[in-house]
Amino acid sequence: MRRFGRQCRGMSKVFVTLVRQTERQLLEMGHQVLPLAWAAQACLHGAPQLPADQRVRLNIQLTAALEAHDRIETQSRRLTQGKALAHYKIVNAYDPTIAPICKGKSNCPAQFGRKPGIIAEPAAGFIFAFHLPIGNPSDASYVEPLVDKVEQAITRVRTRSTLAIHSLAGDLALNDATLREALHERGILTVGIPKTVDPLPPSPTPEDVLRSLDEADLHHIRTPSQVHLAYACGYSRPVVESIIASLLCHGVGHLTYKGHRGAIVQTGMAVMAHNAATLVRIHEYRLSKRARTFRRRLRLRCRKANHCNASIN
Amino acid sequence: MQLLRYLQHWLTGRGPCLQVANFVPETHPLRQWADTFPWAALVAALDRSFARRFPRPSTRGRPPVSTRVLLALELLKHELACSDEQICSRLRTDLAVMYACGIQEVQVDGSQEHFVLPEVLAQFRSRLDAPLMEELLAIQAATAMADGLVSPAHLVVDTFPSEQGSQRVNDAATLYKAQKKSSRSSRP
Repeated sequence: MRRFGRQCRGMSKVFVTLVRQTERQLLEMGHQVLPLAWAAQACLHGAPQLPADQRVRLNIQLTAALEAHDRIETQSRRLTQGKALAHYKIVNAYDPTIAPICKGKSNCPAQFGRKPGIIAEPAAGFIFAFHLPIGNPSDASYVEPLVDKVEQAITRVRTRSTLAIHSLAGDLALNDATLREALHERGILTVGIPKTVDPLPPSPTPEDVLRSLDEADLHHIRTPSQVHLAYACGYSRPVVESIIASLLCHGVGHLTYKGHRGAIVQTGMAVMAHNAATLVRIHEYRLSKRARTFRRRLRLRCRKANHCNASIN
Repeated sequence: MQLLRYLQHWLTGRGPCLQVANFVPETHPLRQWADTFPWAALVAALDRSFARRFPRPSTRGRPPVSTRVLLALELLKHELACSDEQICSRLRTDLAVMYACGIQEVQVDGSQEHFVLPEVLAQFRSRLDAPLMEELLAIQAATAMADGLVSPAHLVVDTFPSEQGSQRVNDAATLYKAQKKSSRSSRP
């Protein structure tokens, strides 16, 4: 969580207190009303004098009210960590599709919003897919939908049949045993996902390579050179921050389109615009030294052939 | 020529006919940016989806603004960080934006204010949905992979937060912005 860290301290504390006090009052009031709603529903079941259609209608209304209370109560409890919003901004804090973004921050009030996930290639920064779930689920839950979307895109390519995902890198939030197993079953190396806070080595020893292949049980699919590249990807994972910075410049940091569908449309358009800019950079060969090395080792095409030394050795 | 048919209601002005590509150099950033998109596949996917979800009851009436123009405007809006009004206004005056929208030649009347109204762009956007966005991105990725420009072999995954909020023009907002601006400008 990189954007709403420390800038929301200071004067915001005043508003946080106000939000907390208001929400506590609402929660207390709701706590008293809730048993009354349950009692009313129980009375409704034991009231044969009412016509059946009226009973059904009242029952539906009461059930809806109870469900709404449950949803609002959850959001209210989260709101006690709320942050002062910009003066002219309108946010529906009870929208069930948005959630407080408070994970991974220490001593900072939460910001309401969404948490898009991206899957990108680390060399040039091309984004293959994005995922925008409802609420604020764990980062590990993003991986499989993203991998599915990339595989769907791969199936659209008819000219090159050898395309496949070899490895996946991520931060410590993706360190989940179930996820690792699922990725290994798909033939994807997970050496780029760290297990501890220690940084990954830029190049592994031969023992590390063998151990990685043993752990994943992918001897028959993946080669040692692919493991080397997977380690390099994991080592240079922080370059994803520059991809995210580019997306934020394309307006993804502030979603103005309405609702969850609007957020998906805005994010999708920004990702496509970013991808086009990335392809221009690739065409022009305006890439970092690290990106050029990656592309050489992946044997990817580059327009300016005189700048590109395609030999690995 | 098919695009011209769709846009004919605002491309039949009395002025001289301009070849847009002649005015936009090949090294222009917007031209290079626009040339990377697989427009035909993207427009076909959009048209297919719209035809399925919003069937037209009749073929009569004025032809709509081309999907190609509207999709390009929506993408340009994010690339150039413009509002709907700004990007629609630039389409009227900026030949690079016209090129990016696929307009090959233009013959306009000087008194004509708009080519595409911002409301039309908003209406187009309201027809887009999540599966369609995924399909468009998959088409772009597949084209880049087929051209050998990118490879999905080694990937990174990450998440980032984005604020959800909308801005409304009201008295309080205008006053707040003015106060903020004046306090910033009065600083030494």
